[in-house]
Amino acid sequence: MFSGQILDERGNPLIGAAVVLSPTGKGMVSDVNGNFELNEICEGRYTVTVQFLGYNQRVIELLINGKGKTEQIISLQPDVQTLHEILVEEKVAHLETTQNYAVLSGSKLAETAGKTLGESLTEISGVNTIQAGPGIFKPVIHGVHSQRVLILNHGIRQEGQQWGAEHAPEIDPFIASNIVVVKDASSIKYGTDALGGVVIVNPAELPEEAGIGGTLNFIGQSNGRSGTASGLLEGGIKNHDGWGWRMQGTGKRSGDYHAPDYSLTNTGIKELNFSGAVGYHDELKGFEVFISHFRTELGVLKGTAISNLDDLIAAMEREPPQSTESFGYDIGEPRQKVSHNLLKLSAHKKTDNGDWRVQYGFQNNNRKEFDIRRGNLAGVQSIDLKLNTHTIEAEWETPHEGINSLCIGVNGMYQNNNNIFGTQRIPFIPNYSNFSGGIFGVAKFIRNDWVFDAGGRYDYRFYNAKGFDFKNASYNETLTFGNVSVTTGATKQIDPNQTVAINISSSWRPPHVAELYSLGTHQSAAAIEYGLLLNDTTNEVMNIKDVPFKIERALKAVSTYKRQWRNIQIELSGFVNYIFNYIYLRPTGITGNIRGTYPYFRYTQTDAFFVGGDLMAVWNLTNRIKVTPQVSLLRASDVTNNDHLVFIPSNKYELSVRFEEPDQYKLKRFYVESKLKYVAHQGRAPRVITPRQIKEASEQNIKIFSGNNDSFDFMEAPEGYALLNLSTGFSINREKVRYDIRLAAENVLNTSYREYTNRFRYYADDLGRNFSISLKCNF
Amino acid sequence: MTKYSRTNKIKFQFFALMLGLFIFGCESNDPQKEDTPELITKATLTFTPEGGGAIVKVTASDPDGEGVQDITVDGAINLASGVTYTLKLSLINELAEVSSPEYDITEEVKEEGGEHMFFYAWTDGIFSDPTGDGNIDNRDGLVNYQDEDAGGLPIGITTKWTAGAASSGTFRIVLKHQPELKTTTSSVDTGETDLDIEFEIIVN
Repeated sequence: MFSGQILDERGNPLIGAAVVLSPTGKGMVSDVNGNFELNEICEGRYTVTVQFLGYNQRVIELLINGKGKTEQIISLQPDVQTLHEILVEEKVAHLETTQNYAVLSGSKLAETAGKTLGESLTEISGVNTIQAGPGIFKPVIHGVHSQRVLILNHGIRQEGQQWGAEHAPEIDPFIASNIVVVKDASSIKYGTDALGGVVIVNPAELPEEAGIGGTLNFIGQSNGRSGTASGLLEGGIKNHDGWGWRMQGTGKRSGDYHAPDYSLTNTGIKELNFSGAVGYHDELKGFEVFISHFRTELGVLKGTAISNLDDLIAAMEREPPQSTESFGYDIGEPRQKVSHNLLKLSAHKKTDNGDWRVQYGFQNNNRKEFDIRRGNLAGVQSIDLKLNTHTIEAEWETPHEGINSLCIGVNGMYQNNNNIFGTQRIPFIPNYSNFSGGIFGVAKFIRNDWVFDAGGRYDYRFYNAKGFDFKNASYNETLTFGNVSVTTGATKQIDPNQTVAINISSSWRPPHVAELYSLGTHQSAAAIEYGLLLNDTTNEVMNIKDVPFKIERALKAVSTYKRQWRNIQIELSGFVNYIFNYIYLRPTGITGNIRGTYPYFRYTQTDAFFVGGDLMAVWNLTNRIKVTPQVSLLRASDVTNNDHLVFIPSNKYELSVRFEEPDQYKLKRFYVESKLKYVAHQGRAPRVITPRQIKEASEQNIKIFSGNNDSFDFMEAPEGYALLNLSTGFSINREKVRYDIRLAAENVLNTSYREYTNRFRYYADDLGRNFSISLKCNF
Repeated sequence: MTKYSRTNKIKFQFFALMLGLFIFGCESNDPQKEDTPELITKATLTFTPEGGGAIVKVTASDPDGEGVQDITVDGAINLASGVTYTLKLSLINELAEVSSPEYDITEEVKEEGGEHMFFYAWTDGIFSDPTGDGNIDNRDGLVNYQDEDAGGLPIGITTKWTAGAASSGTFRIVLKHQPELKTTTSSVDTGETDLDIEFEIIVN
């Protein structure tokens, strides 16, 4: 018999620690006193492995003689890094009523270093991206994106020009110590728009004690021949406990990316970001000032610069794309230049009557887009927008002693969008000012094994839009919207190893000005877009009262079941999301102008239905080998028209096998991982009408869209594809510095593929093989 | 750079950024009307017969630009059999002031001849010279260009045509913008389209 007790670093018993004896495979979990007992063990040499979440694994050699008893007390040391991750999760869970969320943090987040925020998030099941070439990724949660996904950066609603599918979130991912993706619509604290979910980018807490620390990251990638450097320095202030500061900056330079068979000319990136924070915290109060600057310039694949349908026909039938050249770092037209500044002031105070929190945020977003233009206009921006947003929030929460809690608050926003004069084009979206206000309450009760939560909020929005119509004549319109959102949920702890959670929410969003008033041609789409409020035949701006407009509202239910066995953990979630009056671009007709023939799309409303499920599991095959399958399934349909929706991510399956060796000579945390990703063909795509068919119909005066306004796509959805990624890494501990080194290869087999949700799939293949090396110093 | 000045520079940048944020925080949002020089709202084709005679003029116009209304053409091109014509194109943006350089797009195209080219297509047999059906479906098709860019490649603002036997058909003109792409083999599939219009044509 082998028995003993598991203790923590302070000598307290650890309950539920796993004790496994190899090679027999026998094991058990320690009881409430930390005791364990393994019977009927033959004589011999054994290895005992003791594991407990948040503590370093311990491996002991053991010799068992005859029928004697062996007793041992084993103490575990906490693993600082994972403990930190767990604490962060708990904090997030406490702030939110939600149970359906996933976190990207610690080593998993570190392994995405060098990627954009949107791309990093695809590590989480249920999250995809809408892509425009290799540098522009927008997160998609359960099939919805842009105005239906709320992004919070440091607790502030990110307000950029998110209406465009080729507009990526303006956030430096190195700023985050963890990123939380809320997959239900329960986060109503932050306001409207969370119809699909919320992405929360959290920084680490500021240090509170004297001392200085930081990290340095260097990443090199072969595809794009890119280099990224990011540094962070933080510390406390001597003799001033509670004060802390942090400075952080990232620079990135990339040249043209390449597909397996050719270069993707003009896809380089230049990025420079920095941020700084200073604050004071003690047990009862705290305040913080945070400032950040994000700036990027990115090239858009040269071959996407087209004008009319004939150009699109040629571009789609040509491979490699037009203007393909050998590798270069130059960024020419078409390109985007975007900057985003954020200033945040926040304070909180704990009193006997509850906790108070207030915060103010100011965001300044600038976006310039440069198309290929003629004459004096070559190099003149065709879109130039400045968006300033002020947000102010205040909330009160009941003291934490009680098991029930209530949080109420108000938030307000003032926003101003301006077209900067000088583009010499009729602006795509008008100037507007936006006043919004909201009030909310969220309550949480605990009864035995159940946690219940419920919340509600009311929001009001006022728009004043001033723009120019197709004749370049000015208009000035005022609009108001107001409505409520509600959420309710429950979690049951079935036993220590099983929980089930369900959430049902109904939330709305005011329409974006772009959805109401858009007017113009996208250079890469050969399509003209008209807003909801432009008249069908005259194209004149109409009053919203004269249009059958209805508020978009989602009814979403998500349920998550979590279970863990001795060496397997699973997380299974299912969701349904019915969106009433879903606003989308619907093909409506063909128009001619002097440049040629164009299909045009009009923002329209329908009812859309999304259903799907996510699975994530971790199977510890042995102490060192971990198998992680991940599945995201999604089905979406246009209910009103009994049709499919375009650009819906297809089903995705991933399998990773990871070998870990935490402590081997001088190499710490060594791992090798192989990950296979399979993305299925999107079989539920709208009908295909090729540009050639549209052109021929127009020549023969056949009205291809009259009588049948079903959605369409210019090209068949691409075939499914499988990608193999490999990576390995280890750490070296020096006296004061820890080095993390990582080598990775993506698309190892250099597979040529096209991704359905990449808007540039009409023009070129996706990325070929990429090797990357990253070095991180922690001091 | 010394350490001192570097810190100062960072401090200054932070200060400038903060100041900038507050200054730009509030301002009016009355938009200013943009000129729209890229729009071609009218294309005029002028056929002048050699040795005198009636000038033939046709126009395609699209006053609503990006609006839903289709382009309108003011009639067919009526040519006399056996007569040789010089065709001159004129592209106008009626939304710009007549005095502004953006009014006459033809001038702009001429100045940037090195990256522009007009392509022509017509119903086979309409013309006795050039023969064939133009250079849109095949870059090597014959067109009598009367102008060229600095590199000796044709532009096509001015062209020459001899009407064939009495017949009717279509006449199409495409202007391509081919920055760094225009060569002896660049075709109608190269670059992006600035203009693509089609007319009825009748030879009497």
